[in-house]
Amino acid sequence: MDLLTHWLGNAPDFAVPFALAALGLILTERAGVLALGAEGLMLVGALAGIGTQLGVGLAGLSLLAAMIAASTVSLLFALMVLVLRINQVIAGLALVFFCQGLTGLAGTVFGWTNRPVSGLHSVELWPLSELPLVGKVFVQNPLVYLTVLIFIAVVWFLQRTQTGLHLRAVGENPQAADAAGIPVLTYRLAAIVAGAALIGLAGAYIAVLSTKMWIADMTGGRGWIAVSLVIFARWSPWRALAGALLFGAIEALIPQLAAAGVRLPQYFVLMTPYAVTLLVMIWVALSSRESASQPGALGEPFIREQRR
Amino acid sequence: MKQVNALQLTGINKSFDGFQALSDAHFTACWGEVHALLGENGAGKSSLMNIAAGLYAPETGSLLVDDNAVRLSGPRDASRYHIGMVHQHFKLVKPFTVAQNILLGLPAQPQQGSYSKRLQALEQQISAKAAELGFVLDPRQPVEQLSVAEQQRVEILKVLLAGARILILDEPTAVLTDQEAERLLATVQTFARQGAAVVLVTHKMADVKRYADRVTVMRGGKTIQTLDPQHVSIEELVRLTVGESSQAGYQPGPPPGALRLQVRDLRSPAGSGPLAGVNMRLNAGQIYGIAGVGGNGQSELANALMGLPQPTEGEIHLQGFGDLRGASPEQRRELRIACIPADRYGAALAGSLSVAENFAIGQVHGGRYGSFVRLLGKRMKQDAADAVKAFDVQGVRSLEQSAALLSGGNAQKLVIAREFSRAPQLVVVHSPSRGLDVRATQAVHGRLRAARDAGAAVLVISEDLDEVLTLADRIGVMNSGRIVAEFEHPAGRQAIGKAMVSHD
Amino acid sequence: MTLSQPSVSPRQPLFGRRYTLETRQQMALHWQALVIGLALLFGLAICALILVGAGVPAGELLNEFVVQTLFDAQNQRAVLFQAAPMIMVGLAGCMAFRARFWNLGLEGQMIWGAIGATAISLFDIGPHALRLPLMMFTAMLCAMLWTLTPVLLKLHLKVNEIISTLMLNYIAANFLLHLVYGSWKDPRDNFPYSPPLQSFERLPDFLTGYNVAILMALVITGLTLWYVGISRAGLYLRFVDANPRVADAVGVPVRKMIIATVLLSGALAGIAGFVVTVGQEGRLTQSFYQGYGFSGILIAFLARNNPVAATVVALLIALLFVAGRNLQVFYQIPFSMVQLIQAILVICVASSDFFIRHRIRRIQAGDC
Repeated sequence: MDLLTHWLGNAPDFAVPFALAALGLILTERAGVLALGAEGLMLVGALAGIGTQLGVGLAGLSLLAAMIAASTVSLLFALMVLVLRINQVIAGLALVFFCQGLTGLAGTVFGWTNRPVSGLHSVELWPLSELPLVGKVFVQNPLVYLTVLIFIAVVWFLQRTQTGLHLRAVGENPQAADAAGIPVLTYRLAAIVAGAALIGLAGAYIAVLSTKMWIADMTGGRGWIAVSLVIFARWSPWRALAGALLFGAIEALIPQLAAAGVRLPQYFVLMTPYAVTLLVMIWVALSSRESASQPGALGEPFIREQRR
Repeated sequence: MKQVNALQLTGINKSFDGFQALSDAHFTACWGEVHALLGENGAGKSSLMNIAAGLYAPETGSLLVDDNAVRLSGPRDASRYHIGMVHQHFKLVKPFTVAQNILLGLPAQPQQGSYSKRLQALEQQISAKAAELGFVLDPRQPVEQLSVAEQQRVEILKVLLAGARILILDEPTAVLTDQEAERLLATVQTFARQGAAVVLVTHKMADVKRYADRVTVMRGGKTIQTLDPQHVSIEELVRLTVGESSQAGYQPGPPPGALRLQVRDLRSPAGSGPLAGVNMRLNAGQIYGIAGVGGNGQSELANALMGLPQPTEGEIHLQGFGDLRGASPEQRRELRIACIPADRYGAALAGSLSVAENFAIGQVHGGRYGSFVRLLGKRMKQDAADAVKAFDVQGVRSLEQSAALLSGGNAQKLVIAREFSRAPQLVVVHSPSRGLDVRATQAVHGRLRAARDAGAAVLVISEDLDEVLTLADRIGVMNSGRIVAEFEHPAGRQAIGKAMVSHD
Repeated sequence: MTLSQPSVSPRQPLFGRRYTLETRQQMALHWQALVIGLALLFGLAICALILVGAGVPAGELLNEFVVQTLFDAQNQRAVLFQAAPMIMVGLAGCMAFRARFWNLGLEGQMIWGAIGATAISLFDIGPHALRLPLMMFTAMLCAMLWTLTPVLLKLHLKVNEIISTLMLNYIAANFLLHLVYGSWKDPRDNFPYSPPLQSFERLPDFLTGYNVAILMALVITGLTLWYVGISRAGLYLRFVDANPRVADAVGVPVRKMIIATVLLSGALAGIAGFVVTVGQEGRLTQSFYQGYGFSGILIAFLARNNPVAATVVALLIALLFVAGRNLQVFYQIPFSMVQLIQAILVICVASSDFFIRHRIRRIQAGDC
């Protein structure tokens, strides 16, 4: 059962980027802003993380730099959807392609491509790590544990603080929030920036801690999978974490099967996350419970004096 | 009771998209009174109070609170001046609990401790205040699980707990049963006796007579008169609200023909809509007008008759065809049913497309303008040009211009031109002259009469009583989702007005 | 209570109620063109700054982009060569958008088009004389089948087509890799591409150095023009795009129109894949499709879904691609620069729409 242990042990590592990106998206979308730019912001975080790591070598600082970089780029998105009232789908798509182009260019110009970095050492959670079968799950790099803490913090923020209440109100019924004196656009801006920070962190995780180098377009669609994860999770953080673990488990299975000698056509196996995402979308649509949990005003720009 | 002015609005002008909603309107409410603001739909009462509550900004005029001039920058500002408004359309966040919704509107008070402590304290406050006002409310219940009456109580508690001393209620009893309405009005009366100022925006005369200390009547965006409801009859109130106008303009047609349309017990499935069993018979060569105050199911009836997919029970029977509810758009075209919806730009015209295209689309499928391979644009334009001339659609500099540029009246004429391009046998019209000037209204009415004279059965649903009186051979009054009374021309205006506002 | 008036102008208080933001009714076309033109110039200026920052000498910029590409014969041919598939994906984007369908799967559809065409060659199907038309037809068919799933999913289950088409892209890309690294790999080279197509399976030149592909693209532009401008479908589509509710009420067959138009979009992308593989590459390669997906969306967006405008914009994008490749060769600027330039242009034009739709107005003194 070595295979099982390794698989379970590796799954969290693959799950973290999905989890963090989905959480960032949930924050933004709970405030009513449709966020499709995850793929792009992850790349920005990834590149910024690698760049800082190559320059300074401190993983913690690199992760922080990634978050700041992604948040800064998200300001462009905020400008487009909050001020210029551009269609949120177009703005999201434009952001993704902007980030892809920008990171591709910067990575080459600064010479950061294909240069390995050191990641972080794993931290063992003794005595849990001595458990049979699942022991390896408790030997992870510190960001995995931090992810769990971040989830707890965000859930606490959304459910147990006044500010979180205001944010959710802004996403469900901005007219009601406005009538209550809540500054709708300010909250949406904060949600975009905070969400982007988490998405950037997800990207940095892939680059700095997982793959440990920068390659152009390295996120490979994970941002889009995170977008569909959020729909699948019906905008609930804990369900998103569960979904992320599912995807992480699927991705972790691939090398394990190969190591076990199972001969699967390589590229079909690589298709799995995308095919699963598609199936998940279909399943969600069939069960049609999704629209009930969708933040009431998702995707609609906020205009005050609009006669009904 | 000290007669100091709690709230005073003077000289208010406000327009929306070119429509003058308020013109030189004024209103004064004193402390300690229940002051009713009475008027029909579109009279401007809600708009005026929305200005007082800080939601709209007036173009001219002034607002005084407690005799001090104020300028409100938003609803939060209004609550600082102790003005609280309970709207017709509740501003509640459905998935949140009662307490969470009320917490939203309260100013931050960090000294009260953490969020959960504040929420708990608020929950206790809510229960206490509710008990004081005489009802029970579970502060932990999600708002979406509450009945409409209970949701309204949440809205009232929201403004009271935020410290409102000037309470504005916009059509509060519209969504309540009689019993609930009585309880509510008694409550607000008590509140007023405690010294607060209560403004009751309503169109229900009976409520005004029973609970109001003073009543101000508005009509057409203007303030008409303020009087003491105890010393005025309901008839007089009706007269002031609906205005004087003769039934000049009515033109009878040929004697009506056979039964053409019959609506049998049309109702919305349990709880999902306002229709409560509409029964109606419409003959060929006849104009049947449905009068009533807005919100009594007219829109739903219009939608059902125009073929919008919505679940209804009952039957809409067209002679020679059967139940219209199952007919496809193609079949409706074949049956020559003309529909003129109230929302010209949302439901009848594609604004960004040209005048010619909007006119011609009705007959494209039938092949009049060429086969699939080639659309006969020239013929489309020619037909459109003829129609524009025949129906006097003005403002068409070129047939290529987009339909959205047409003014309301001309857009309406274009819709009629399209719908009448094949002589209709059934015409369903909803609010035909809304937003139209006198000339355009007369032109539209002329078309409807012409259709009737040519043998069509015409159904006019309108909240404008004048329009109904001018056009209709028979009038049905719609109230609470049913036709509650029918009148033949000439109909007593007072009787109709009474049927519109009474509830049994 | 709603009022239906032609111009909708909700007032948004701005800067403490001293200004309001109003929507305009309609801006005259020439003003619109001016605003968009200014936006494009602004975007290009930013791109120029970035290029200079990335190491291209400022003086060389104009030379590279304008002089070299327009006046050098070899570059001219390259531009026209590049323009053919670019026009096709641009038209594919236009078609999809007219049906309100976000077809982000253009690359996947191109891939299947190329696979279909290559299959005909590898399995030696059909007489030599008919080989090319057969390959093109198969390309169209495969791409259309790949597009069928997302559009049906959207119409029947309301599955978001952005995600579904994108996921299908990744699946198609992986399948392509599976083929070119696996059973379809050229046994002579061991490089990830298919065996070369035979001479009668290549798109010929109609003039030395000028491939017939550009003519195909122009013919397709003409056909698209017919579809949206002359045929009945064009009118139906315009109604569906403008107001689906009204379209349904006046009897337009909305569902059929959407399916037909989206399939057409897929077919065009498939032909683009065919053109690149059969016209340019000469064999099935692993990354021939990169860059076309977003380019197609961009072209449709800038051209406002008009086929003729799309052709012009596609030519300019082709110019951009060729210039981009030259920059790569001479100044080591990576090809992602092209993507960045495209994204900046989209953002600028999308932002300019704000100024077309809104007007800032001062509230007169003397108001309450």
